[in-house]
Amino acid sequence: MAQQNITIKVNGTDQAAEIEQRLLLVHFIRENLALTGTHIGCDTTHCGACTLILDGKAVKSCTVFAVQADGKEVLTIEGMTTNGELHPLQEGFMEEHGLQCGFCTPGMIMSSYALLQENKNPTEAEIRWGISGNLCRCTGYVNIVKAVQYAAQKA
Amino acid sequence: MRQIDAALHVRGESQYVDDVPPPEGLLQAAVFGSPLAHGRINSLDLTAARQVEGVLAVLTAADIPGENQIGPIIADEAMLADGEVHYIGQPVAIVVASSRRIARQGVAAITLDCSPLPVIVDPKEAFGRNEIIGVPRTIARGDVDAAWADCDLVLEGSCDLGGQEHVYLETQRSRAIPLEGGRLRIHASTQSPYAGQRMIARILGVPFNRIEIDVQRLGGAFGGKEDQATQWACVAALSAWHTGRPVEIVLSRAEDMRMTGKRHPYRSDFKIGLSAEGRILAYQVAHYQNAGAGADLSPAVLERTLLHSTGSYAIPNVRLFGVSCRTNLPPNTAFRGFGGPQGMFVMECAIARAAEAMGKPVAEIQRLNLLGAGDHFPYGQPTGSDYARTTWDQAARSYDLPAIESRIAEHNATHFETKRGVAVMPVCFGISFTTTYMNQASALLHVYSDGSVGLSTGGVEMGQGLHTNLAGIAASALGIAATRIRVESTNTTRIANMSPSAASSTTLLNGNAVLLAANQILDRLKSLAAAELDLPGPADVSIADEQVLVGGEPAGLSWTELVGRAFKARTGLSAHGFYATPEIHYDKATEQGSPFAYHVYGAAIIEVTLDCLRGTYTIDSVKITHDLGRSLNERVDLGQIEGGLAQGLGWVSLEDLQYGPDGRLLSPALATYKVPDAHFMPDDIQTNFIPIADDTNAASNPGPYGSKAVGEPPLMYGIGLFFALRRAMRAFRPDLDLPFVSPLTPERVLMALYPEGHVAFPPIASAVEAAHER
Repeated sequence: MAQQNITIKVNGTDQAAEIEQRLLLVHFIRENLALTGTHIGCDTTHCGACTLILDGKAVKSCTVFAVQADGKEVLTIEGMTTNGELHPLQEGFMEEHGLQCGFCTPGMIMSSYALLQENKNPTEAEIRWGISGNLCRCTGYVNIVKAVQYAAQKA
Repeated sequence: MRQIDAALHVRGESQYVDDVPPPEGLLQAAVFGSPLAHGRINSLDLTAARQVEGVLAVLTAADIPGENQIGPIIADEAMLADGEVHYIGQPVAIVVASSRRIARQGVAAITLDCSPLPVIVDPKEAFGRNEIIGVPRTIARGDVDAAWADCDLVLEGSCDLGGQEHVYLETQRSRAIPLEGGRLRIHASTQSPYAGQRMIARILGVPFNRIEIDVQRLGGAFGGKEDQATQWACVAALSAWHTGRPVEIVLSRAEDMRMTGKRHPYRSDFKIGLSAEGRILAYQVAHYQNAGAGADLSPAVLERTLLHSTGSYAIPNVRLFGVSCRTNLPPNTAFRGFGGPQGMFVMECAIARAAEAMGKPVAEIQRLNLLGAGDHFPYGQPTGSDYARTTWDQAARSYDLPAIESRIAEHNATHFETKRGVAVMPVCFGISFTTTYMNQASALLHVYSDGSVGLSTGGVEMGQGLHTNLAGIAASALGIAATRIRVESTNTTRIANMSPSAASSTTLLNGNAVLLAANQILDRLKSLAAAELDLPGPADVSIADEQVLVGGEPAGLSWTELVGRAFKARTGLSAHGFYATPEIHYDKATEQGSPFAYHVYGAAIIEVTLDCLRGTYTIDSVKITHDLGRSLNERVDLGQIEGGLAQGLGWVSLEDLQYGPDGRLLSPALATYKVPDAHFMPDDIQTNFIPIADDTNAASNPGPYGSKAVGEPPLMYGIGLFFALRRAMRAFRPDLDLPFVSPLTPERVLMALYPEGHVAFPPIASAVEAAHER
């Protein structure tokens, strides 16, 4: 299988590796870098558990090849804290109880991050559309919406 | 108190099975599942799979050293198929390889030569061929046959209720690690560690104490990992046993959806008789449960269906019949509500049909027949509570049901393309495992000499907030901060013979066990404090806010000092608590008893707006009155209510499991199987609670600190969406006799609204013109 050298800046640090060309970005993140906060829920882009930020945009990393991220910047849930300080979104999900089993939480936070980058003051309807590519099977989304609102107000 | 794992979850630091750093030499397993729904195995060719580079072992039924059997209630489920296959995806062989990709390549290289046998997917067809599991059950009360003659109206009908895929976001997975002396430790994503331990011991032919199951947390379960997790724990264990190396299996979503069982589809026939006033005098129902190819938990699920078949209503004459039917689908299993939703759904269909025939509002018939404090359930247990009426009336009053009704009437009178509907869904749900012996739990509590606490129970954290509840219970009991308490993983070497985390009873059972353990420690510490403080006895001693109090006043002795002194005074700082729910019993021979510790009640009002040209709809609001008792943690409980509601709404609307006649699942991915997202769920979800002072239901409630079970009951509020939609559909097409077929996907709504197959038939065309003229 064809190998390729790539360098991806992940959470601010350059990560160079020789990888198989068809290695998925999510596997690179989880297995090569041992950043296991990014989860895999459906393998087909529907559930959003694997959402991370690639050059400023939210992508579902289960259907992105790692080589597609070569030379780009990736932000994962592990990179959301700054010097141990939680990001307002992380704080929001915690304070508003926007989580239950926690499996969807990292992806949900990353999608919300992308939403707030584009729209600093979203309406409730915009939040619901913004995270509609991320499934949560535990909550009824009520507190997830509140968590995003919390972060929007704080930022 | 915040959710105990929240800080880990938001940092992405919570570890699920395959997030734990892999042990040296970890192998990956994949499973070859049957390509046919029913067939006789002629030969299984493993040669090519064994030749794939990186494949270390290919295992079949012949490689099982013990018994090839994992059926939890009835021994009818082979771990690996032997001789015959009974559903598509049934595990036949395991490939163990150096990576998951290679393991799957190995699976793809396996060929199975199989002679097809007839496939059954419909439970009534299975019943007709006497393909039944266990024994049919009937609960009866009064004299239903004699009662029909007294009724002013007798109606019959049929329901066809779809199943439901769990869609726990974390698919099934397990990791087995060989230990010294032939022992195995399995990190499993299971609600039922003890079932996993028992079945692995069975397939390996070893005593239970050789198998350790450890569960940190689950990424969702909802019943889908109650007994269906066992298969995958067994796969990892058998693979580790043969290779002597750690082995992990993680199912892909497609594998998980194809291979694992789901909520049972039901086909049910009802007959209902009423007085002219609308009182239900007689009700008869026959439930044909689509059990799939093996018993799994189906007999227990069926039992709960029958116990909930009259919903929230008092009916003097009933005959409730149910039978588990063997089909060629994956064995269906537990799913939040555990058969209760199907029983209640059919009852509501019967009431809807009766109301429509009588020209009365559905809610009028519902309210007239609600259970009262002096009533009995068909299985003989007294309600002992007026809560069916209390919750209904509070919902109707606090959310102003008459105003909702008039808004909807107004909308429907003035709009043609869209129609609105409302329904009230009352819920009455029995709390306890109906299998009485399962209502037991243990807790092991250690107080370390620095004052920190380690707590183990048999309960599994799967997002329901159990660990948060347990830490809160222990903290309250000991009078210390919850931050001192570490709730440990659930582990079979610390807690033996645990019941699954299920039946909404996990906090009830394990929380009480925690209280019993904590109180032992507390008694010892109070005695010691009394001695240290030169008191005659511990009667006046208590601990609160981490301080020893005497007669309610601080005595200058902190928790940490007290614990330190207790340790040096050689006081036992560990305790084991064991709890069994009192006074519950059920006699299957007479189908009478008191199987439930108590019932949880509530009512929900659901409003929907239907686009009658497209079949699409929007849920406008859901307004709930719920019987919560004294909540241990209101945010955790509200989360359970909203999450249960979402699943209930999904079950009757979006979530469509379609099977082909060959037993193949036609919606085997999240592309075709839709679950509620943030946009589908209504913005307006309101919940209020019954004032605790009015709690007529409290006397029988054994929940820790007066708390009540909240896991399953809210799911059934979602059923109201079906009837709100039905009402909107009838507003558009009052001329049609709409079938009771669930889920009401937009597609199914559209097809039902236009059975003629086209739009422009006369009454509609003229109405369109009228609408345009407006």
